[in-house]
Amino acid sequence: MKYGKLGALGAAAVLVLSACSGSATTPPAASSGSGASSAPVGSAPASSGGAVTPGAWCVGGTVKIGTELPMSGGETANGVPTENGVELLVAQVNAAGGVAGCKLATNVQDDALNGVHDPQTGAKNMQTLVADASVMGVVGPFNSGVAEAEIPISNGAGLLMCSPANTANAVTQPPDGDQYRSAHPDKISYIRTATPDSIQGPSAADYLYKDLGKTSVYIIDDTETFGVGVGDSFEAEFKKLGGTVVKRDSAPKSTTDYTPLFTAAAAMNPQGVYLAGTTPTGMGLALKQGRTVSGMETIPFVGPDGVADLGPGGTQGATITIAGAAAANVYGTVGAAHDLASGSTFVADYTAKFGGAPGAYSAAAYACAQIIVASLTKAAATATDLASAREGVRANAVNSANTFTTALGTLSFDKYGDNTKPFISFYKTDMTAAGGKGDWVFVKQESFTDPNAP
Amino acid sequence: MTVNLPRFARPLGIGAVALIVEYLLLGTQQFANALTLGAIYALIALGYTMVYGIVELINFAHGDVFMVGSFLAMWIMTTIFGLTGPVTNLVNLVGLLAIVMLATMVGMGLIGAFIERVAYRPLRHAPRLAPLITAIGVSFILQNIIATAFGPSPVNFPQIVPADKFALMGARIAYLNLFIVIMAVVLMIALQVFIGRTRLGRAMRSTAQDREAAELMGVDINQTIAITFFIAAALAGAGGMVQGLYAGSIKFDLGFFVGLKAFTAAVLGGIGNTTGAAIGGFVIAFVEVYATVIGYTQWSEVAVFTVLILVLVFRPSGLLGQQLGERA
Repeated sequence: MKYGKLGALGAAAVLVLSACSGSATTPPAASSGSGASSAPVGSAPASSGGAVTPGAWCVGGTVKIGTELPMSGGETANGVPTENGVELLVAQVNAAGGVAGCKLATNVQDDALNGVHDPQTGAKNMQTLVADASVMGVVGPFNSGVAEAEIPISNGAGLLMCSPANTANAVTQPPDGDQYRSAHPDKISYIRTATPDSIQGPSAADYLYKDLGKTSVYIIDDTETFGVGVGDSFEAEFKKLGGTVVKRDSAPKSTTDYTPLFTAAAAMNPQGVYLAGTTPTGMGLALKQGRTVSGMETIPFVGPDGVADLGPGGTQGATITIAGAAAANVYGTVGAAHDLASGSTFVADYTAKFGGAPGAYSAAAYACAQIIVASLTKAAATATDLASAREGVRANAVNSANTFTTALGTLSFDKYGDNTKPFISFYKTDMTAAGGKGDWVFVKQESFTDPNAP
Repeated sequence: MTVNLPRFARPLGIGAVALIVEYLLLGTQQFANALTLGAIYALIALGYTMVYGIVELINFAHGDVFMVGSFLAMWIMTTIFGLTGPVTNLVNLVGLLAIVMLATMVGMGLIGAFIERVAYRPLRHAPRLAPLITAIGVSFILQNIIATAFGPSPVNFPQIVPADKFALMGARIAYLNLFIVIMAVVLMIALQVFIGRTRLGRAMRSTAQDREAAELMGVDINQTIAITFFIAAALAGAGGMVQGLYAGSIKFDLGFFVGLKAFTAAVLGGIGNTTGAAIGGFVIAFVEVYATVIGYTQWSEVAVFTVLILVLVFRPSGLLGQQLGERA
């Protein structure tokens, strides 16, 4: 019975999808669809005519952008709006005549198994995309764990992946990153627009020390890979700035009472607290209980994006819902761009096409697709068949000398495939927002270079 | 010749020594924290020990019964009473707490008796392993029901007790902590009186000693076991409610680790012995808080389960294990 229902859900998601790609043939809002945001397409010399005969490489007149995202079950809200970003660009490019006369389509793969993202399913999908010779590049995956299963496959086959959402350092950086691309270490196949986790810690340390002027801090982590990682990098940067870490604790997510921890820490009078972890792994409870301890009632609490969970479309996230009044004076970093590039019509285009606000990673997926299209435009000049076009896309996209004009701004990628100027957005809680229920409000956005980068 | 002490003198002595040692090592503030946590563990440990005493079943679903209790209390508060924030009127607050606690305990008691009826009673004469595995199955069923109904994310628990504190010997202690400890102690005393002084309690004790003989003497075994499960689940429900009040947010997998720790407390005190379970709860909480105080939070669980192993190796019948004959 349960599987039957899940199957129905999956089928519903596929229906929604096919509805999306069906409407993709209709050009959105005439030519204004390809505004400043898709400048690289407009500026491509071959596409200016709009009725150019595609080169021999463009077999059948159409090539594809693959998408590999979790699209069904509980992950629908993650995958579908992200995939829509790609569909939007494909529609815009086709309306403008395609890439060097070659029309675009999508090959949509879903890595959710029974409604949850699954690395094995992702790996299988990646093999499907590799086998489809007309796929020029892939946007995805959404989850870092899935990426770790997929990169060895795409690296072996020389198929470009651009992830809008992966943040784990291990995906790209040594020693793990080296292993994933061991088939062709010289030909990396993976880039990402999202900000690696290691940058959130130092940027939060900078913010607490410089912007908020606090010189001592108590750090508590959730003992998980992400939490310990951001905790360590926060600690290193805070000490480097001259601050004092009065106490560092690690509390597993099974902890049901954080009061003793905060009682012990409060005795050392920290001026701030860094919550290194996520709300579901205990930081929500730590915040709520920590606030009840004398001396902790009003000092700033800072956390990474696991705490600053903005919720869909920037609405109130779980942290504020759980912590209630305790969420006052809490700050958070998010490893993504809050502002799009100036002049970008992305949000308006997206809303016009899909009838709702974009998801958190829609613009990044759109930017990934823009990078693939720009790389393909370049590659089209010399490509002779699908294989050489695919290789040209990969080589152009990962070339650290290239820069790309995207909805997120001008992007370039380092030798590991990481964004050279990763974005960090700072948020703080405002308990009077959202009709008194409280919400995260945007403070500022920075391009932040990791001071502890390898 | 042995000195004939009253039979509660030994547990009282052990309890008093444990509390004094705790206080000296922790200081007032952390002692209050440990006492509160211990009260919650003790309420759950009582259920483990009662059920084991009467049917010799380690009811691994008990931690999840506790979790369901906190969700039931949350549901009653938010859906029936529409509570979201602190209730400042003292009379209203006490009344609400009493009503919600009573409703939660009765509701959980019925759920506990129902679980016994459908999951354990059919297996009463099966090999010992069968009900143990059923218990694990019930645990998963309860977790998944709650995860489906309330979602897998932490859920907010209305903080109806204001966060006010009072000063005591250099520490600032919340009234909520005081309420939790007093409530737990009252429930434990009530349980002791029930087991020791009432007809049903006598039926429980006799069933624990020798089920067949008790049946021959006219004790309704099915009813007695059902009542044991009812009481065990009701106490866990009360524990779940105060856990919610204390922590402020609850989650569907909350019962797993808390249950394991309470089980450790029950074993430490001597499984089958209700006084031992209560003392065990406070000792386990103390070990956990002390690990935090000396800066080894990530080792607190290791410490708790090391205690379990040491007890099983050196004193398999627990602190008060020699009283096993009077279990239940």
